[in-house]
Amino acid sequence: MDCHLDIFFLEALLNGLLLAGLLALLALGLNLVFGVIDVVWICYAELVMVGMYGVHYAYKGGLPFIVAAALGIVLVAVAAGLLHVLVIRPVLETAPINQLLVTGGVLFFLQAAATMAFGVEFKNIGISLGSLNVLDMSFSRARILSFVVALVGMLALWLFLTRTYMGTAIRAIAQDRQIMPLMGVDSRRIYLVTSAIGGGLAGLAAGLMVLNYDIYPQIGLQFGPLIFMICVLGGLGSMIGGFVAAFVISQFIAVGSSCFHTEWGYAVAFLFFMIAIFFRPQGLFGAKS
Amino acid sequence: MIGPRPAGLAGAILAFALMTPALALAQGKEIKVGVLYDQTGAFAAGGSKAASVGNQIAIDLVNEKGGVEGYKIVPVNADAQSKTDVAINEAERLLNDAKVDLLMGVYSSAHCVPMAAKVDAAKKFMWANVCIASAVFKDKNLKYVFRPQVHSDQFGEASCMFIAENAKDKLKKEVKDVKVAIIHEDGPYGAGVAQGNEAKCKQLGMQIVHKEGYAATSGDLSALVTKLRRAQADVILHTGYNPDITLFLRQAKDAGLKFAALIGHGAGYGQIDKLVETFKDDVNYVYNVDPVAAQLLDAKSLKPGLGELTAEMVKRYKAATGAQEVPPHASMGFNQAWIFFSDVLPRAIKKHGGIDPEALRKAALETNIPEGGTIQGYGVKFFPPGHAMAGQNERSSPVVMQYVKGETKIAWPKALRTIDPVLPLPKGHAYAR
Repeated sequence: MDCHLDIFFLEALLNGLLLAGLLALLALGLNLVFGVIDVVWICYAELVMVGMYGVHYAYKGGLPFIVAAALGIVLVAVAAGLLHVLVIRPVLETAPINQLLVTGGVLFFLQAAATMAFGVEFKNIGISLGSLNVLDMSFSRARILSFVVALVGMLALWLFLTRTYMGTAIRAIAQDRQIMPLMGVDSRRIYLVTSAIGGGLAGLAAGLMVLNYDIYPQIGLQFGPLIFMICVLGGLGSMIGGFVAAFVISQFIAVGSSCFHTEWGYAVAFLFFMIAIFFRPQGLFGAKS
Repeated sequence: MIGPRPAGLAGAILAFALMTPALALAQGKEIKVGVLYDQTGAFAAGGSKAASVGNQIAIDLVNEKGGVEGYKIVPVNADAQSKTDVAINEAERLLNDAKVDLLMGVYSSAHCVPMAAKVDAAKKFMWANVCIASAVFKDKNLKYVFRPQVHSDQFGEASCMFIAENAKDKLKKEVKDVKVAIIHEDGPYGAGVAQGNEAKCKQLGMQIVHKEGYAATSGDLSALVTKLRRAQADVILHTGYNPDITLFLRQAKDAGLKFAALIGHGAGYGQIDKLVETFKDDVNYVYNVDPVAAQLLDAKSLKPGLGELTAEMVKRYKAATGAQEVPPHASMGFNQAWIFFSDVLPRAIKKHGGIDPEALRKAALETNIPEGGTIQGYGVKFFPPGHAMAGQNERSSPVVMQYVKGETKIAWPKALRTIDPVLPLPKGHAYAR
């Protein structure tokens, strides 16, 4: 252990905080879908990958970045809607393992399709926003932007869910999938809208990630396991839980990486995850089933 | 006039000699070569595809010249998908189901280490073209696995020797005052090179101010960058694949990491066109240790004919890929395959009676190509059985290259230099102090 409680340690902590914003956004879409439809999209990170390619090609095609990012949101929202209609809906009433397997199949399909369509080369959008220097610390502006936009996105979702009729219907059906259709709520439509919103959040994350990462068909593997760990730790389906868990996990990674080797950061985070799940199998904010 | 004229007889013999390869090929004699690279996944763009293209060019050239001693080379290509388990399964499929006569290729050391041990235990023949980990051979006493390629200890040593030779003149420091940080992906490739770095730099008296491994699939290296900022190393020695290399460079720039020199060791650092596309001027003056890209060598320093062979390889590589720059991995894939087909295989067939693993092994052990005898400059002679590195080429050597305005120059060793190395990074560079 080699912890130096100096300005660089503080920098590592704050970098962890910035990373948490992006992870929280990624977890939010997955949690929304699970909370409402009760399906885990194993292919969620691959939808993000699709969005990243969309933003990349739209930007390289001459559109301003902000327009390209907006198109990325629409693209993944549509893709998620199609995923629900074509893949999820037919198996919605079957055993949960079927839903896991079909979305797992979509994961491999999307990776292979991206490899065929875009090749194995790493793509880069080529935008560098530089860094912000505070005291002796330095932070990536792209990460700060990602953090802020992620927070705004989460706030917008919260307002949508609490201030609109559709949002109320979504929350209602999340609470009771059997009763709400009897009260006139069109569950098929709600599921479709929820899938599109979940996809839109993945698209928003994609627009932010292209500023920080290269794009390649397997990028989902870089984040997929971490996102699932965050969702489970927060309590699958709990949006607040996912939000809090993202910050907890990223701080474990930041402190672990600073005090030990980088890979130990993930080991420490996963160790915490295992201990937490041992004591609270339903997650930090999950309800006992 | 009765009887054949002498000139006519000579013509007939010549015509027969020229036709012999074609006749033999027509008889259907062939050698099946299992060619294993990563065509998909993260390693594909990190040099594996380039190496596979080079490998295929060598096979095409050999077949166009009539094959080897009447044998047509039949490649059976397989994709390791950048996954170790897939690589091992594909190797077993090629050997046991496709019944190939030997395995060739292999980009990743993480695949190479377990695969070599398995293939050797099964007494099958393997010719490793690209993977570099010393751990493939070290203390394994392999009998049927051979590698003309440079090994990771040499990578690690080359960068340290380059720094030591330039410390006083360029860095204005005594060698003992030079601070070095070593960072690496934590597989056999990165760990092997880093071990070589640490041993040699320490031996030369440099200060190792930081050494750390990380997972190549890591989504965040900001903590590592922060630690490097704290360590204030003069030189950073980095060994990684992709996307970790680009992630590191991006996060290092964003975090304001400064240094005098960055020396990469192959893989993603060997893909200059991709680096320039992503980082533009920021990759100016970055170094890369690798076996040399053949086209950078002065053909006069090589055996006659090798210059033309290199030119043909470059021409075909550009035609096949559309690339403007030909990365070192293309030379690696081509060169090792060419050595096997032009030197080892003919000897196995003519002297040792065939293409079975025993004949190939005996022929490989008799390889004795002097320096300048291959397109990448180095010679080939394998450490014999019983040696700690049995099966590894003892005459291989890497070079230190520097990227300048999108072009690759040789900075070390001095004998091959095509540039006076730019060190430290000039003022105004994104990473300059």
